[in-house]
Amino acid sequence: MSTTNDIYILAAKQISVQPPLTDEWLDDPLRYAAPYARAIDPDYRQHFAPNVARRLGKILKRALLTSRQVAAATGVTNPDAIITGTGLGCIENTEIFLNALVREGEELLTPTYFMQSTHNTISSLIAIDAGCRGYNSTYVHKGASFECALADAFAQLESRRIQTALVGAHDEMTPGYFTLLTRTGYLGRAAAGFSGEVALSMMLAAARRENALCRLRGVEMTYRPDSNALRQALLRLLQRAQCTLNDVDAVMTGVSGQQVNDQLYASVCTALFPRKPLLRYKHLFGEAYTASGLGVYAAAVCLSRQRIPAHLFAEHRRGEQRGVGHILFYSHAEGKNHSFILLSPCGK
Amino acid sequence: MEELILQLKQEIIRVLNLEDVTPAGIADSAPLFGEGLGLDSIDALELIVLMEKRYGIKLKDPAQGREIFTSIRVMAEYIHANRTK
Amino acid sequence: MAKEIFVTGYGIASALGAGKEATLSALRERRTGIAPMRYLKTAHAEFPVGEVKMSNGEMMRALRIPEAAVATRTSLMGTIAVREALEHARIRGQSGLRVALISGVTVGGMDKTELYYLDFLENDTKNAYIAAHDCGACTEMIADYFGIFSAVQTISTACSSAANAIMRGAMLLSSGRADVAVAGGCECITKFHLNGFNTLMILDRKPCRPFDAHRAGLNLGEGAAYLVLEAEDTLRGRGAEPLCRLSGAANTCDAYHQTASSPNGEGAYLSMAKALEDARLTPKDVGYINAHGTGTENNDLSEGRAIQRVFGDSVPPVSSTKPFTGHTTSAAGGVEAVIALLALQHSFIPVNLNFEQPMPELAFTPAVTERPPVPLRHVLSNSFGFGGNDTSLIFSTL
Repeated sequence: MSTTNDIYILAAKQISVQPPLTDEWLDDPLRYAAPYARAIDPDYRQHFAPNVARRLGKILKRALLTSRQVAAATGVTNPDAIITGTGLGCIENTEIFLNALVREGEELLTPTYFMQSTHNTISSLIAIDAGCRGYNSTYVHKGASFECALADAFAQLESRRIQTALVGAHDEMTPGYFTLLTRTGYLGRAAAGFSGEVALSMMLAAARRENALCRLRGVEMTYRPDSNALRQALLRLLQRAQCTLNDVDAVMTGVSGQQVNDQLYASVCTALFPRKPLLRYKHLFGEAYTASGLGVYAAAVCLSRQRIPAHLFAEHRRGEQRGVGHILFYSHAEGKNHSFILLSPCGK
Repeated sequence: MEELILQLKQEIIRVLNLEDVTPAGIADSAPLFGEGLGLDSIDALELIVLMEKRYGIKLKDPAQGREIFTSIRVMAEYIHANRTK
Repeated sequence: MAKEIFVTGYGIASALGAGKEATLSALRERRTGIAPMRYLKTAHAEFPVGEVKMSNGEMMRALRIPEAAVATRTSLMGTIAVREALEHARIRGQSGLRVALISGVTVGGMDKTELYYLDFLENDTKNAYIAAHDCGACTEMIADYFGIFSAVQTISTACSSAANAIMRGAMLLSSGRADVAVAGGCECITKFHLNGFNTLMILDRKPCRPFDAHRAGLNLGEGAAYLVLEAEDTLRGRGAEPLCRLSGAANTCDAYHQTASSPNGEGAYLSMAKALEDARLTPKDVGYINAHGTGTENNDLSEGRAIQRVFGDSVPPVSSTKPFTGHTTSAAGGVEAVIALLALQHSFIPVNLNFEQPMPELAFTPAVTERPPVPLRHVLSNSFGFGGNDTSLIFSTL
């Protein structure tokens, strides 16, 4: 097993509650107070022919456009793998079919919403659009869906089974499903924080290219660990990347304003990295099963620009930081799946 | 018949979400599949349900649909002859 | 495979029964599990289906899960199959091993969602089932029953989900991210996807007839099946006996259409060719192909052409076992991997039931006799899903 790797995030594009397809949130973030916000959609008519777009729900349009744009930005138009993480998949189409089934019965249902209700419609659509016949997979595991996708891509790039991978994080949040997740306490009832939407496409490669955003040094996941197992997972990540915790400049977590969620982050951060500056991203992008995709993207942008704006720091006292070394990304999904992702600047 | 043709065009535009198409833009005798409107096999299935929902015509076999959905005019003539509502 | 991957256990629940013995005897005695609908409540009772012949209550009792517990049919079937797989491989708790569970599923808790959806929207009485709806919840319910898994992940690629989970399980082992991988999939029949397939007009009202000229669609099935995979060091370390090897795997995309396969089966051709390459085998090494063979007009023609492109004039015995189990959708890759393993271990060909008339477009016909021309050493299992998601797995004797 090789312990060194050379894996890069070449480019990333997002559509979320922040201005779409730009990094404007870095200096000029939009703020949300409401418990529920939808993504800001660009005018898709400028990007898709009507016959392409007519069957596509929001999540599919967003996924297709962000993936086309990273392909164009990197010149990787036929990646070796397309791997998507999505917590709920095409929930809008699923709801339409389900509503018709439950309310109108089983006699006059139509196929379009069903055929685009499966979670892997996203990866398939991107592959069909670009003519990619390579590896195509979709992870659907609650708040760890994106991490699963990234871990799969990383392992295949590391072993050089593939050279390039398009990795996505995609979740839409309909008013109907927002109501449902408010009932379970996942969304909405928090004192602070809000529900957002996610469309994030990033291109990874097993070789450095000009204008790459950062290096992806490792992904490590563990399920329902005790404190020792969690520490072991972090150590495995650092060891494989040939780093120590001293190399880490800042730790980014998924604190959202939701009490139970944030308390767990606080206790893990105190135990594992007590003196590290802590970064956040859900104050910008909101909560969603694959919000962590936007977190990793935000960290990648900071590494590429070599600065961390003041609003990303969890402690409000700090000003903007110039020069950024390694960023450790830590996420937990309702306390069950825990993930560590290590990023570093291209040169390091 | 002309009224039925117009109504049918409007229904098809709605059901198949043909955003940028107007009834006037669909020629009565132009092919619906392949060239012309460029519909595909999934649209054919949608049209089968439309036939049942709107006109009470039940088609059991997608192959039967293919013969009827050749153009708006052929479709309208079939509906005219077979509708139950 | 970058590293040799061994199968040390497996478990299955399908229309053929719970357990590998029931499965094996049904296959050998040519007893189909497809029957009139008994458990699913739907207006479309006219379709024959391959149901697991147990109610949710019976499965809960068999698993000693309290009656009041929140469980979905999919997670119950999955738990039954994982339990058998772990017992078969003699994996117990506190082993000190990093054991991963990779599960393929698509409808997840939809069986409860479609039942309680109006409650979900209007009141708080069924909130526990909202939390049980998604695919990840289904896998976590299975994982938490055992409490031994240190990595738990869910793949959803429709009808190839379980096969992709098995492939991903092998990658976790070869990249050193786990010591043992329990991988497969589960799916119960729901009104949601029964109706979905019905809108696509691809359900047969009669028993399905894969690779027959008069095939008229598929029969839905349900079930769960998981394999226990290990690399050699783990195996030796704990003194376990390998059963056979997962020697090759590949996933490709047909990149043609969301629900239809390309006419010449490009994706299927590539998945088989790449799996052979991964296993360092040639087509003539393969002794049996467990085809995806759904019985739809489109799949069997596309897959049949792809098989001919890979195997040329010497196509080995091919069968679809979906006339036995029905199409178990997300579980199919696991169910058919177990059937392929049973075939390999007992050196027999599971026959293609209901075959009468050869397809005029194909030069081969599916297997109808049990005896393989030569003892089986390598078997190939195909699983294809919506979106042209094509996966081929190759299992080999030791």
